[in-house]
Amino acid sequence: MRFRFCGDLDCPDWVLAEISTLAKISSVKMKLLCAQVLKDLLGEGIDYDKVAKLTADAKFESGDIKASVAVLSFILSSAAKHDVDGESLSSELQQLGLPKEHVTGLCKSYEDKHSALQDKLRETSLRLGRLNSVSWRVDYTLSSSDLREVNEPLIQLKLQTQGAEPGSSETTVVSVSADKFRVLLAELKQAQAMMNALQ
Amino acid sequence: TGVVIDSDHKPEQVFCFSSVVEEFGHIALESLRRGSSPKIYESAAKKLFVPMEMVQHGVEGLVFLLMESSKHMISEVNFLDCVLVLGFSEEVNRFLLKLYQEHQGQIRTIMKQLICSQPTYQNLEWRLDVQLASRLLRQQIVPTVVTRLFLTSGTDSSSRVLQTDPRTLLHIIYTLEAALAAVKTSHTRRILRNIK
Repeated sequence: MRFRFCGDLDCPDWVLAEISTLAKISSVKMKLLCAQVLKDLLGEGIDYDKVAKLTADAKFESGDIKASVAVLSFILSSAAKHDVDGESLSSELQQLGLPKEHVTGLCKSYEDKHSALQDKLRETSLRLGRLNSVSWRVDYTLSSSDLREVNEPLIQLKLQTQGAEPGSSETTVVSVSADKFRVLLAELKQAQAMMNALQ
Repeated sequence: TGVVIDSDHKPEQVFCFSSVVEEFGHIALESLRRGSSPKIYESAAKKLFVPMEMVQHGVEGLVFLLMESSKHMISEVNFLDCVLVLGFSEEVNRFLLKLYQEHQGQIRTIMKQLICSQPTYQNLEWRLDVQLASRLLRQQIVPTVVTRLFLTSGTDSSSRVLQTDPRTLLHIIYTLEAALAAVKTSHTRRILRNIK
């Protein structure tokens, strides 16, 4: 059976298995667990003590706790990834055997955080390096060892980039003559116009 | 065959008290999962009123026992035989057996990770970009798939950036699917059956 929240593929076996684990806690506790998982997905960190308390009544072992966090994480992030609306998610989860009250709580939390989740996923998508900042300086060269009177402006550009490897940063310093800089600026403005046309 | 425990690895007499053994068992498991530090030994030594070296030797002995037993997957009977040699009480022996049985799978998984020498697949991230224009040519449509392949070998991790066009990507998918199909052939199945 194809599920939209799984990207029009079959639901993975482990998800099916852990949905029955989720059904063991009350729907109220599950909604609170969802809130914790959403916090984790949005980069705000997860409070494992709270999670342990929520699952204590159902006597979850550490394996069960990890499994329920994992399955909720998967459902919520995969639904956001494939841009599934709350109603479709609700019907698909019920088809997989998650009780109605649990589904209602989950989908309400999902709909509330739907666009925040997608923003976060967009932010963490693969990027091969990033420009962090640009600083510049205009100098005026008066003279050099090759020529007594140079009298030319010179621009120094400092580019701070985040490298392709995560966690590496690089600083590049370039000096550009006035003519070359005019060409660079014109080309970049053309690129900017093209980007604006796409927005 | 059982596990031979030489004098270097005999846990100390402090193992006479079962509550102590529990503490040692906990430290030994954590040490296997995350490594140990002098601080952990020191705080345990303070709690039990024994010198730190005794704690360290006890934990190291216990870790050795658990690792060797898990490595050879020895049976309950053989494990009890080995532990009998150390001369602990019935209660301690039973606790050690329980510790071994409950964590054997975990310990084997940890040990598997230690021997890995070839980089193995960990994760693949990808993005689909379309080049619309460049400095030299406007009005283009060039789809590109950029991927980052994450690899680990033991505790080191590395990543490689790879780029491909849709046609090559289809070819990669086709080749990998053929590799998967090879696992299902009768020839492969015959061999796998015989290994089990």
